[in-house]
Amino acid sequence: TKIFSSYLKLSNDLRNLLQNTNSHSDFEIVITRKSESPKIYRCHRAILSCRSDYFNGVFRSNMKESQEGRIELSDISEQFMENILTYMYTGQYEISLENAIESLIISKKFCFEELAEFSTTFIKDN
Amino acid sequence: MSRKMILRVPKFQEPKRMEKSEAQRLWLLLKDAIVEVQHMNASTLSFEELYRSSYSLVIAKRGDILYTGLEEVNNHHTKNLLDKIAQAVDERFLIELNSQWQQYKLQQIMIHDILMYLDRMYVKEPQLKVFDLGMFKWKQNVLIHSQINDRLVRMLLGLIHMERNGEVIDGALMKSLIQMYVDVSLKEKETYKQEFEERFLLATSHFYKSESNLFITNNSCGAYLKKVEIRLIEEEARIKQYLDESTGPKLIKACEDELIANHMQTMIEMETGCRTMIQNDRFNELKLMYRLFQRVENGLVHLKNEFAGYVRNEGHKIVNQPENLKDPNALITSLIEIRNRFEKTLSQSFANNRDFINSVNTAFESFLNENDKLSESLALFIDKKLRGGFKDSNDQEIDVIMNKVILLFRFLSDKDVFKKFYEHYLAKRLLSGRSFSEDLERTMISKFKQECGNQFTSKMEGMFTDMRLSKDALDGFKNYLQTSVEMGKLPKIDMSVRVLTQGFWPTFPPHSCTLPPLLSQYCDLFTKYYCHAHTGRRIIWQTNIGTAEVTFRLPKKTHVLALSTYQMLIMLLFNDAEKLSLKQMAAGTSISFMDIQRSVKPLYSGKYKVLKRTPAVEKSKELSENDIFELNLNLKCKLHRIKFAATSQTDSEPERQHTRQRVDEDRKIEIDAAIVRIMKSRKALIHNDLIVECTKQLSSRFVPQTSMIKKRIENLIEREYLERFPDDRRRYRYLA
Repeated sequence: TKIFSSYLKLSNDLRNLLQNTNSHSDFEIVITRKSESPKIYRCHRAILSCRSDYFNGVFRSNMKESQEGRIELSDISEQFMENILTYMYTGQYEISLENAIESLIISKKFCFEELAEFSTTFIKDN
Repeated sequence: MSRKMILRVPKFQEPKRMEKSEAQRLWLLLKDAIVEVQHMNASTLSFEELYRSSYSLVIAKRGDILYTGLEEVNNHHTKNLLDKIAQAVDERFLIELNSQWQQYKLQQIMIHDILMYLDRMYVKEPQLKVFDLGMFKWKQNVLIHSQINDRLVRMLLGLIHMERNGEVIDGALMKSLIQMYVDVSLKEKETYKQEFEERFLLATSHFYKSESNLFITNNSCGAYLKKVEIRLIEEEARIKQYLDESTGPKLIKACEDELIANHMQTMIEMETGCRTMIQNDRFNELKLMYRLFQRVENGLVHLKNEFAGYVRNEGHKIVNQPENLKDPNALITSLIEIRNRFEKTLSQSFANNRDFINSVNTAFESFLNENDKLSESLALFIDKKLRGGFKDSNDQEIDVIMNKVILLFRFLSDKDVFKKFYEHYLAKRLLSGRSFSEDLERTMISKFKQECGNQFTSKMEGMFTDMRLSKDALDGFKNYLQTSVEMGKLPKIDMSVRVLTQGFWPTFPPHSCTLPPLLSQYCDLFTKYYCHAHTGRRIIWQTNIGTAEVTFRLPKKTHVLALSTYQMLIMLLFNDAEKLSLKQMAAGTSISFMDIQRSVKPLYSGKYKVLKRTPAVEKSKELSENDIFELNLNLKCKLHRIKFAATSQTDSEPERQHTRQRVDEDRKIEIDAAIVRIMKSRKALIHNDLIVECTKQLSSRFVPQTSMIKKRIENLIEREYLERFPDDRRRYRYLA
């Protein structure tokens, strides 16, 4: 037997799922920063919970957020939220000298250990 | 990269110094939340808020407040739970404990999720992880507490005992509670092993010890085996249902020890046990016994020894049964029968286990060689089959029988004795024209050839060649007679001659007789013809194994009598005499008196009597020289051709002795050859080594007696093939 794998296609399909916000989404992430109006991201519990221990905890503990279907995050910028969401859906993360340190902090907070490790190496190498 | 780039450090991430009061506030917030969780009121809490609080405390290096606080809260909570659970009455106890445990486990997962950042960034060995801390507190304050542990184990074991006695218990509850011991074990399931497993295994051994003792005394072995099998299946199911899988091998071992290993001897010896099963071909029960005994150390050895012992005993009985000693056919048939029977047992019950097969074979080897008659009996058995005993069998059946013969043959230690007898009977079959089928003869021989090689069968094959060449020679002789001058002078008789190469054929004991002139002339003619065609050959006439057809004219009827050459000679004497005593017959034919006796007997005592004794004597067994015979002219027989046995069918004792002597002669030659071969290559050898080596070399043909080898060594020293070392009498040197 041979295994056919097509990670690129999978990754692109999931990117479409994230961008096409109306399809079957069952959870909202709301970014609230004092100066700006709230930004809402529609997404999917199944994907978030299997990709992130943080979100897994959110859903598993069945607290307020899980019951209401939305979570408010105040300590993260829209830009980073989008990066993180893209990473969760597609497995790809764009890292640059500009965002490296914040990427490390955010990935540590949300328990993306591989990403945190990668960010650390990236910072050290530059 | 040629251009140096600078990392952008975001401004808000510079960790602020956290005031103690702020830290305290965050801890209290978390503590309240944890208490809510412990009371199952989590749904209004904000996960993100709690997570962020724990995150902030850890970032601000205040993880210690959080961790020690958590320890206290857990401690307090589990102590409260203990009181609650311990109060439960027996009927409620397990259910209460289980429901509290299930809730507690869920809470600990939630707490772990909230404190995930603490767990990952703060907790370092030897501190326990957040979840493990929760488990540890439960174990310390609830599970192994004196108010819980003994009571719980006692009740669990009580339930298992009930289930073993056929009652239905709540398997899911058992699984959950037993798994609890595993869950709270920090490493290698130590709590499970110490607190539960050890006592469980002890109780198991106890239970099965008393059950098996009772059951086996009140039931048959077969019933007991079935019971054991069911018990083992039940225990396997128990492992899957609610025990930790690591207990599996230990539990099964404990059961096997009590149920099987401790009762093996009983199962073999008891009245309904292994012996009876083997005796009565209880294949299924034996199969079960095999399967169960296989599970314990040395189990199969016991069973195998018992079986082999039985085989040896049965074989011994057959080989020594007086009726069988008289009837080789019955003996071999019985042996083939038990062989078949044991092969069936081996395949149906003992999975054709190599060790079992080998030990059965060893048993066969031992009893088959108990009795030195077996070689001859086997040769006689085949003789009978090849004389027509195969008439009613198809090819496949014949093949089966032949293979069984080969199998028995394989066990014989004195294959040379068998060979001599086989050759002897083959010769008789060929010469008397009594062989049923040449194809079958050749098939049988090819099987021996396969088994022992060319050397073993070369003489037998030589006999077949002689038979073919004799036919050619005889055809040639008949042509020669027609053209021969001398022929015109002689009355015509139909003579058939077989030329046997000396060496291929058994040497028949030398006998002599006087042939009537006519026959003598024919013999001379043949000798003349043959020696002319084959120069350098010498013909010795072997009249004692020939046959003849004689016309017997009675007043009213004429018969043809098929006789041996000797009988013919005797009958011919009556052409010139009315009455003859045995003494006169011997004188007239030059046949030994013993042969006269044996030849005359079928003529006057068989179904058709061509001779009668005068005066008639009723049933006088021994014939004496002076007994007188005359032709029976009143013979009444519807047959035209009457056939007479040459002598009695089986060989007489002297002939048998003769064959044995020849075997001994051959053995001397073989031993001599082996000794010389060994000494030639080794030059010098100590006595014992020579004996061992010699026995080894000859073992495929026969087992030489040490005394015989010794005699041959002496003989070879006399003949100056060997000499003793002057300084060491135990050593021999080869003299080239």
